[in-house]
Amino acid sequence: MAPNPRPAQRSEVLQGTLEMLALKLLAAEPMHGWGLSLELRRISGDVFDVNQGSLYPALQKMLRRGWIRAEWRATENNRRARYYSITREGRKQLEAEIADWERTSGAVNRVLRYALQGG
Amino acid sequence: MAWYHEIVSSIGALFGRRRQENEMDEEIAFHIEMETRRLVESGLDAHEARRRAVLAFGGVERHKDDVRDERGTSWLWDGWNDVRFAARSLRRRPGFTAIATITLALGIGATTALFGVVKQVLLTPLPYGHPESLVMVWSAWKGFDQTWLSYDEWEGWRARIHAFADIGLFAEGSANIDGDDPERVRTAQVQANVFPILGVQPIVGRNFTAEEDRPNGPSVVILGYGLWQRRFGGDPSVVGREVRISGQATTVVGVMPADFRLPLDFGADGRTEAWFPLATDAAQNGALPGPEFPKGGSNHGYNAVARLRPGVTAATANAQLRSLVAELEQWGYMSDVGFHAYAVPIEEQITGRVRPVLLVVFGAVGFVMLIACANVAGLLLVRGESRRRELAVRVALGAGARRLQRLLLAESAVLAAMGAVLGVGLAVLGVRLVRASAPAGLARVADTTIDWSVLLFALVVGVASAVLAGLLPALQATQIAPAAELKESGRGATSGSARLRWRQALVATEVALAVVLVTGAGLMVRSVRNLLAIDTGFRADGVLTMRLSTPSTWYTDSTAVAAFWDELQRRVAAIPGVEHVGAVRLLPLATDMGDWGLQVEGYTPPPNQGTPGDWQIVTPGYFEAMGLTVRDGRRFDARDDMNGALSMIVNQAFVQQYIAGRRALGTRVQINGSDSTLVYTIVGVVDDVHHNSLVGKVKPEFYVTLGQFARAPGNTRRSMSLVVRTDGDPAALAAPVRAVIRRLDARLPISEVRTMSDIVNSSISGPRFAMQALGLFGALALALSAIGVFGIVSQVVASRTHEFGVRAALGATPGELVRLSVRTGVRQALVGLAIGIVIALLLTRTMTSLLQGVTPTDPLTFATVVVVTGLVAIAASVGPARRAGKTDPARVLGSS
Repeated sequence: MAPNPRPAQRSEVLQGTLEMLALKLLAAEPMHGWGLSLELRRISGDVFDVNQGSLYPALQKMLRRGWIRAEWRATENNRRARYYSITREGRKQLEAEIADWERTSGAVNRVLRYALQGG
Repeated sequence: MAWYHEIVSSIGALFGRRRQENEMDEEIAFHIEMETRRLVESGLDAHEARRRAVLAFGGVERHKDDVRDERGTSWLWDGWNDVRFAARSLRRRPGFTAIATITLALGIGATTALFGVVKQVLLTPLPYGHPESLVMVWSAWKGFDQTWLSYDEWEGWRARIHAFADIGLFAEGSANIDGDDPERVRTAQVQANVFPILGVQPIVGRNFTAEEDRPNGPSVVILGYGLWQRRFGGDPSVVGREVRISGQATTVVGVMPADFRLPLDFGADGRTEAWFPLATDAAQNGALPGPEFPKGGSNHGYNAVARLRPGVTAATANAQLRSLVAELEQWGYMSDVGFHAYAVPIEEQITGRVRPVLLVVFGAVGFVMLIACANVAGLLLVRGESRRRELAVRVALGAGARRLQRLLLAESAVLAAMGAVLGVGLAVLGVRLVRASAPAGLARVADTTIDWSVLLFALVVGVASAVLAGLLPALQATQIAPAAELKESGRGATSGSARLRWRQALVATEVALAVVLVTGAGLMVRSVRNLLAIDTGFRADGVLTMRLSTPSTWYTDSTAVAAFWDELQRRVAAIPGVEHVGAVRLLPLATDMGDWGLQVEGYTPPPNQGTPGDWQIVTPGYFEAMGLTVRDGRRFDARDDMNGALSMIVNQAFVQQYIAGRRALGTRVQINGSDSTLVYTIVGVVDDVHHNSLVGKVKPEFYVTLGQFARAPGNTRRSMSLVVRTDGDPAALAAPVRAVIRRLDARLPISEVRTMSDIVNSSISGPRFAMQALGLFGALALALSAIGVFGIVSQVVASRTHEFGVRAALGATPGELVRLSVRTGVRQALVGLAIGIVIALLLTRTMTSLLQGVTPTDPLTFATVVVVTGLVAIAASVGPARRAGKTDPARVLGSS
């Protein structure tokens, strides 16, 4: 693969987080890409505002992994849109990621707390 | 299960690419539209809202690319795009493309054709059940390296060699298939256990029963598939019916499979097509019943094939044979002649003689393939040279090194693919050529076909050649530094010396490989010339032969047979163009000859040894027809008919061995088995004739006439070869001679119509095949490396134009410039030559078994190769070098 001159993503962590959050949102209800994008921005306080387009490669990747599936449906305004919904494997993945996240963030929190107390 | 989704997604992506692109476009358009609408609702005007929506989305095309990447098929699409791009850029350079494609096609075609031959001969299993546990069993003694078994030996081995699960006998013969269009076919008599030993069953009917395989059993036959199709239309109901064979009503009991052949039917003589029970026993063979041996041995006349017990090797069988023979020898069995017996694995028996030829030729073709790849790699390098600017621009525009490599590899892949397609075409022609030029002595070669496995091989060779030819140029591309490249692109720029060195190495490699091939070819040419220079003892040119048999049904006694041959020869002699006509029992170099015991007057053999002589039965015209030189005495003539005084002609080896120091003419000789009053007198001495093979020592041989042989020892000879000498084309005589035979007796089938030249050539078919193949490949290799040398000198001359201009301005003459350029080509050739000679010295010893009268390191051959390669290199260099001589200093220097 040719090394594309692509601007670095915010970070690998953020990319992984994006996937996890998207899965979390899709676990509640099927959504189309824009809806997902809007919801992510709303919940995250616009942390995910930069480059709305980068959601789509992430969705494509999750499709390929079999975590989500896509189908074309009509929106409430009767527009055709591609809706994503989570699969059984997606749920498993989400649980694993949340567990992983909690382990990591817990560790980070403990470290920070220790640093604050010690400092 | 992730892999499952990956694969489904990839395959889906591959086939639904257009749909996916549309969906992606629609999805992104939807996103931007919704975002725009949201911004409008928050108070922005439509234009500004859309601008911000697009901005917030980020680079649309970039995100699309990322989505495509995530589909998991981009490598496929990139590959396809590379191929399409490569095909486009190759189309722009048709000359280069044609040369590279043809070069690869020649390499792939030759390699594929030869692989087809190798596969058929060496890799396709023999048409037997478990051929790996089959062996042929032979006897041998002084003067006979590989000869038949006696019935006693068969009985003995069967009872006492425990390595053999079973051993069966067969003997070859021939028979007339009677009918409107009589046909003579080769046949064999087989014991009832032979087909079961071989592990082959009739496809229709059954094998012989034990009741059929005994003396005076019923007349039964098993037909070969070809004969069954040809004569009986493949009708299964022929089984159980009576057909007439050699005048006798014979019941068909079975038909063998199409690919079935007896173990000795893979060679030049063609195949047996009908099989009868051997139907013999100890009494008939004058053998002792059971595993007992007469001290003097009995008649040796049977081929034997044995099935080894499970898990037993031929080596074990041979060890058992050795110890049993040692025991027998001590007891006195044929100890005077040094009798021994041995088993040969059937695979080795059938392909043993062909294998070294094929492996050498296959190795040679591999070299041709490598040279072709080196040549194309060289061409691609040159092309890379002229494209450096284009590639530099691509690098500057952001193409990575690996992407460039892939592009260049795609180019060689496209070339290799075209070369492979063309090459398979060439291979089909090549196989046809091999089959037609039918080295008849080479077992199974004529059965070669192109099948799927051969095509698969061509594919593998194609891929390998793409990698071999494309890798070096592709790796070169990584070293492109755009800044330097674009700067140095002025007209006076010189080629990077590192890149030139690669090409020089390639050319040297080509020359080295070519030298090895040409050396091999040279050695074979000398060998074949040596073989052809061997004095056969007869003159082959202008001689036509064919085989005839006079069955006892129609020619009841020897008088009738003699009368037939007299009349036939009288009539054939009357055909215009016929100089001499005769007949002989066995044609030299076409058959194997055994010997007959004699008593020679005045000669006492050493203790326990006999006085054997190879025995020939002839008609008086034979010596002139075959062109034998009489050294002493006379030829046979009309005196030597059935009623004349018994006269014998012997060869010079006979005189040297049995009559040395005495007068040959007048010496009296008795043929064992004759009435003691019937003694022959030697009336002539002729040259030694090489009978069993061109090489090897000629044994004592004697000639008697057909008529007199019927008196002493008293056998009527029924199968003879007609020998006709003409001053014109012998093949053209076939039709008139056939017509004469048909008018004389239309019932007699004619077989084995061949010229003696064909027979001589076919007897050295192995070395000849190797010579022709190596000669062809050597020439090809030399031509390809000449192109390589030509190319490198052209490149050097082109890149040094500026330097030459300066030299010319400083007073160098055109001749000096030409010599300077030639030297650059010749230098590479010399490096290759030196390496090639070393490799050849190491490799030619693998050809030892093919060589005749020349050592694998023959100095004359090597010297010739050096001279020839040198001349070719100079010739290839001169063309482009002449341009250097025309360098015009004013123009060159003025333009820079």
